[in-house]
Amino acid sequence: MQKNLPHICPSCSTPLSVKCLVCEKCQTEVSGIFHLPMLASLSNQEQNFIVEFVKCSGSLKVMAQKLELSYPTVRNLLDDLIEKIETAQKSIRQ
Amino acid sequence: MNKWLINPFIYIAGAKALLWGWAAMLVTAIIGMMSYTHFDGVIDVHTAGKAFSLGYHLLEQLVDWSCATLLFWGAGVLVSKSSIRLIDVAGTMAFARIPMIFAAIVGYGIKIPGQLKTVDEITRAITPMVVVCSLVSLVFLIWMITWMYNAFKVSCNIKGGKATVVFIIGLLFSEIISHILLYFISNR
Repeated sequence: MQKNLPHICPSCSTPLSVKCLVCEKCQTEVSGIFHLPMLASLSNQEQNFIVEFVKCSGSLKVMAQKLELSYPTVRNLLDDLIEKIETAQKSIRQ
Repeated sequence: MNKWLINPFIYIAGAKALLWGWAAMLVTAIIGMMSYTHFDGVIDVHTAGKAFSLGYHLLEQLVDWSCATLLFWGAGVLVSKSSIRLIDVAGTMAFARIPMIFAAIVGYGIKIPGQLKTVDEITRAITPMVVVCSLVSLVFLIWMITWMYNAFKVSCNIKGGKATVVFIIGLLFSEIISHILLYFISNR
């Protein structure tokens, strides 16, 4: 079962940070306060979109063919993602 | 399948939609000529009492489509945050006219020969068949308007209440302008 990475506190809605990372092979634990990258705040679908976009060399036309969607649909998804990222960047700066 | 019926523009836009739309407009014009069905406005479907040339029926389709395309593209440029392409608006608006093929076919059931001048003639002409065919035509008209709305939303990337308000205003203006243009062309 794929789990979604929580990135917002359910109690006070501020961005979460990572306290502990674990090596699955040797059980080494690394503790500290590590801030999650901005991309982690995006949904799995949005992250997959970004990965596919990079793999298509940034071509919306190729993306549209690969996803079997129309060009404006893919462009709209990208524009929505850009808006979300800009909003996330603004809140980080604040 | 449901998505294709309500919003095919998730999957098709641009030049591909334009070619399909133009083909549909040609078929609509041919059937309209034979069934005396006129499309003398962006969202108008009427029965005429006489036949017109194929050229005139094609002109109606062209004027209706181009009025809608230019007005909605202009609205999109003014209102949308995205960079929109004219080919997407043109293609989706052309594709949206496909349901009018069925309205033109239904026109065979409403074919009223000659001009109706008296109330008596009009009353006799409104048979149950005419009423049923008019209601069926209305269904296809609503389907076309739904497609036009979704075409506008997708090709111009405008959502929510803003999309609805701008679409209604654009539709009204394109209907008025297409009517005026076709009036002047037919009365030249």
